[in-house]
Amino acid sequence: MSKLALSSLHEALRKSFKSLGDNQRVWRSVLAECGPPMASLGNLAEQSRALANVQISNTPLRDFPDLADRLRFKLALATDAALGQLNDKMSSLQSVRDAVGNQVSAVLQLYEQNADGLDVAAVTERSAATPSVADMLEWLQDAERHYRRQYLRRKTLLQTLRADNLSLLESAPKRWKSLDCPSAEDCITDTLCKVSFLMESQ
Amino acid sequence: MDGEAGDVMVTSANRKRSVVTGSARKMKDNAADWHNLMMRWNKLNEDGFNVAEKIVNIRLSQSDQQLLVGESSSSSSAAPAGGAAELEDECCKLQDVVNKMVAVVTKMECLMTSQRGIQDLEEFQFGPEGRKVPQFHTWNTKQFERTCGSLCDAFRSELRLKQTILEEVGHTVTSDLSVVLLSCWLHQPFNPPQTRRALEALLLETGHRPL
Repeated sequence: MSKLALSSLHEALRKSFKSLGDNQRVWRSVLAECGPPMASLGNLAEQSRALANVQISNTPLRDFPDLADRLRFKLALATDAALGQLNDKMSSLQSVRDAVGNQVSAVLQLYEQNADGLDVAAVTERSAATPSVADMLEWLQDAERHYRRQYLRRKTLLQTLRADNLSLLESAPKRWKSLDCPSAEDCITDTLCKVSFLMESQ
Repeated sequence: MDGEAGDVMVTSANRKRSVVTGSARKMKDNAADWHNLMMRWNKLNEDGFNVAEKIVNIRLSQSDQQLLVGESSSSSSAAPAGGAAELEDECCKLQDVVNKMVAVVTKMECLMTSQRGIQDLEEFQFGPEGRKVPQFHTWNTKQFERTCGSLCDAFRSELRLKQTILEEVGHTVTSDLSVVLLSCWLHQPFNPPQTRRALEALLLETGHRPL
């Protein structure tokens, strides 16, 4: 009984770690793609700031009376476009979060269903090649929490941006960067290394 | 004026294949020329922006140096020669870009003149009402003239702005104004999104783009 439960649990864990690895790659590449539109968002805010600081009528551009309005409009359009791109990326990040979340909760559910038949020794037993079930479940939950928090923080950052609040827009790239959490990312990579023997043993 | 556009390209080869003749032929060719000229303009705009950006960077670093010199020794008359030659070089490049833009706008004005000619011819042929049946899908000749006119106006204003930027960008030392100049160059405030839509409408109407 315990043996059967353990092997089906191992199978489910294998599947989850495989999906975690795939999703980690997607997450990284989507996050990298967010860089350019984020940078241009900050850049556009800088341009809007400069435009607000300059009195066009006191400059050589005074021959163009509606220039400021027109430029403001164009800057707003470009800002919108950058925000639109970022929103698209956010939905890709969201699907990574959801995929990881679903995998992890499925494994946990399977564990709970079989928990009665598994004694502590079976769950905590580990070998050189295979980490214990308890450890692996913990790592999966850590990864799931990481993506959930990351997604929420980034989403919140984007949702607090307002086109008329230049300082928020200007600081957005820096704040976006400060959300990077390389230690948690490394943790996931470590985890994937630790389970690599398990993944290969079929 | 070889179209560097990645999308539908209008080459002289497929122009010849078509059976349209007379005024319609001329209008269709003009539409293709509008497309090509606008592509060329966009390319020039990009090139010009890179040059203008360099100019601003040189100018700002020069004024920083001047400030430092002024602080260390009060003889600020010693002009920093560093970068002056480079600055002049880049300004010449920008002048070159603007000259090419002038040529583009001149060609656009020729297209406008030709469109007006077609309009006049039509009035001569059909009276002040113009022709009863549209040349292509739905537009009458007046609508063509109006569209071409709006495109022409947009690029004429944009060119005037570019010429002002060209004159000022090398002399501007305040960073805010420099940013505004660059921003004006890049975002083309007199070239609203309607311009692009007007061109697309023109291409659709004349059958360059499939309906």
